[in-house]
Amino acid sequence: MRGLLVSLAWRSLGRSPRRTLITFVVVAVAMWVILVFGMMFTKALSLGARDATVRLLTGEGQIHAAHYLDDPGVDRAMPEPSGRLLAALNRSPVTVWAPHVRVPATIRSEYRSLGITFLGVDPRKERSISDLPRQIEFGLYLKNGTDASIVLGKHLIERLKTRIGKRVIIMSQAADGHLAEQSFTIVGAFGGADGPQDQFAFTGLRTAQAMLGLAGNISEVSFDVTDDSALPAAIDSLHRAAPPLDVQPWTAIEPFAFAIYQEAASQEVIFSAIMFALMAIGIVNAQLMAVFERTRELGLLQALGMKPRLVVLQVTLESALLIGIGVLIGDGLAALTFAPFRNGLDLGALAAGAERYGAGRVLHLQFQPGDVATLSVAVWLLGILTTLWPARRASRTNPIVAMSQA
Amino acid sequence: MKTIVSCRGIEKVYKQGAVAVPALRGVDLDIEAGEFATLAGPSGSGKTTLLNIIGGLDRPTKGEVVIDGQPIQRLGKNRLAELRLHKIGFVFQSFNLVPVFSAMENVEFILQLLHTPRVEARERASQVLSEVGLAGLENRRPSRLSGGQQQRVAVARALGPKPAIVLADEPTGSLDSKSADDLITLMENLNASSGITFLIATHDPRVMSRAHRNIVVSDGRIVVDERRTTANAA
Repeated sequence: MRGLLVSLAWRSLGRSPRRTLITFVVVAVAMWVILVFGMMFTKALSLGARDATVRLLTGEGQIHAAHYLDDPGVDRAMPEPSGRLLAALNRSPVTVWAPHVRVPATIRSEYRSLGITFLGVDPRKERSISDLPRQIEFGLYLKNGTDASIVLGKHLIERLKTRIGKRVIIMSQAADGHLAEQSFTIVGAFGGADGPQDQFAFTGLRTAQAMLGLAGNISEVSFDVTDDSALPAAIDSLHRAAPPLDVQPWTAIEPFAFAIYQEAASQEVIFSAIMFALMAIGIVNAQLMAVFERTRELGLLQALGMKPRLVVLQVTLESALLIGIGVLIGDGLAALTFAPFRNGLDLGALAAGAERYGAGRVLHLQFQPGDVATLSVAVWLLGILTTLWPARRASRTNPIVAMSQA
Repeated sequence: MKTIVSCRGIEKVYKQGAVAVPALRGVDLDIEAGEFATLAGPSGSGKTTLLNIIGGLDRPTKGEVVIDGQPIQRLGKNRLAELRLHKIGFVFQSFNLVPVFSAMENVEFILQLLHTPRVEARERASQVLSEVGLAGLENRRPSRLSGGQQQRVAVARALGPKPAIVLADEPTGSLDSKSADDLITLMENLNASSGITFLIATHDPRVMSRAHRNIVVSDGRIVVDERRTTANAA
């Protein structure tokens, strides 16, 4: 019986080619919009915001001295990892880690003084956890932990009215409370988002420790893990390895970026729901029309002995085919839209807006087959659900009344 | 002889606003297996209402209907559909075929609703289509068949499940006289050769003249119930 029910549903699509075409277009466009704007762009913005944070300096988690996050000063330093903590950092699920000295400081050129965050880094380890070393646009990055030169943001260099090869003075409070001051030669300028360009200045870890009197001490350790799901286990293991220290995920360290990340997920749901509602109105209208035009036939089938639930199944099958094909067309269009941007979409003039949103200049559109399949099946099933009303209406047709219709 | 249809004290009242309009006023009727009977009467006499009630498409206001031993007035929607599927074949005035199905599929569909295995359903559909003279036209869709041929498909569809009775409502009403004549001959032959019971609501004197029994309904009552011998009918 299923064979002829499916066959009847399939052939019924051809009864009104115009209506079928309109329904295909409605479903396909809705699916395309949901996939392109609800999924690809929103996810790209949300992951962009996450990566811009995590791949700057934060890592997926950080270790600090207790209460450092409440008052991040030089006096709340922690010893460099050793013993059990070092062992925990060097095994899975932690993949990479990097120590930082991080203090608030003032930078002074010949013309201006500005407030910044001064960082001492181990360049080799930093390259594995941060994208910043790869964003050098002029000059060089630091060579090693004892490098005594400085790398600044391109924009900061402009604001200081200085240039590569010139010297700047860094002033900050040292561990013993006195004002530490040191001159550095600018060797490189990094690009990227304006915020980090204006905020950060980098020198070698050992150089910063020596300047601030932090021998053997650091401000933080940033670390990455194998994947997001491994983060709680990694935090637990690191905390057990060094109980007095404060181990936090990036979501706690960068709550604003995390809020944007979460908001994007809600936006995806809200956007998809709005598109789906518009699509559902189109489908219900088309199917009500289809049922109305076939009142006589559906009445006849019931008169001949077709049970009402089979009438519902018949109309639902027709809708399932109609929506299913529309969804596949929408998927295909979305894949075609994604293809030219598989290596990223350079926002160009719109980059500033994206940066305010926390994302970078290049958006990496997300077109994961698993997500596409899940969304497509969800839209397909919800679409079928909306046609249960016209289907139920059809099943309640009185055969005598239906067949008396011209 | 086995009674296929038994109606006792059938009354049907339609409500038109606050006004009650009686369509049937106490009809008693028995149809025996193998009968070739007509139900005649002027428009509005109640013959179609009676046919619909016998076919389980409508419910009487009062009275009892038994089809092939099964009382039907207390059956739910699904059970009534099942009864129609298993025991009653319908032929309507305006062909009423599924337009996107071929002749074969129109017959096969009903057999598949009965859960007849696909191969068996196809063989049976082919056989009944051949019996109604449509061999070779099985794969044509209704739009490519003449009115007479479409009505033959409807007869084949009614016969497919081997029903206890075939109810035909004005089957010749939309046919030209040649096609109507051919259809009457076909139903007559099927009745004679296979003993299929026919109850035909009709105005058509040609149908009535060839039936073995003429029942005339007027103002919701059976006013004539005349049995004729085969010789008389011929």
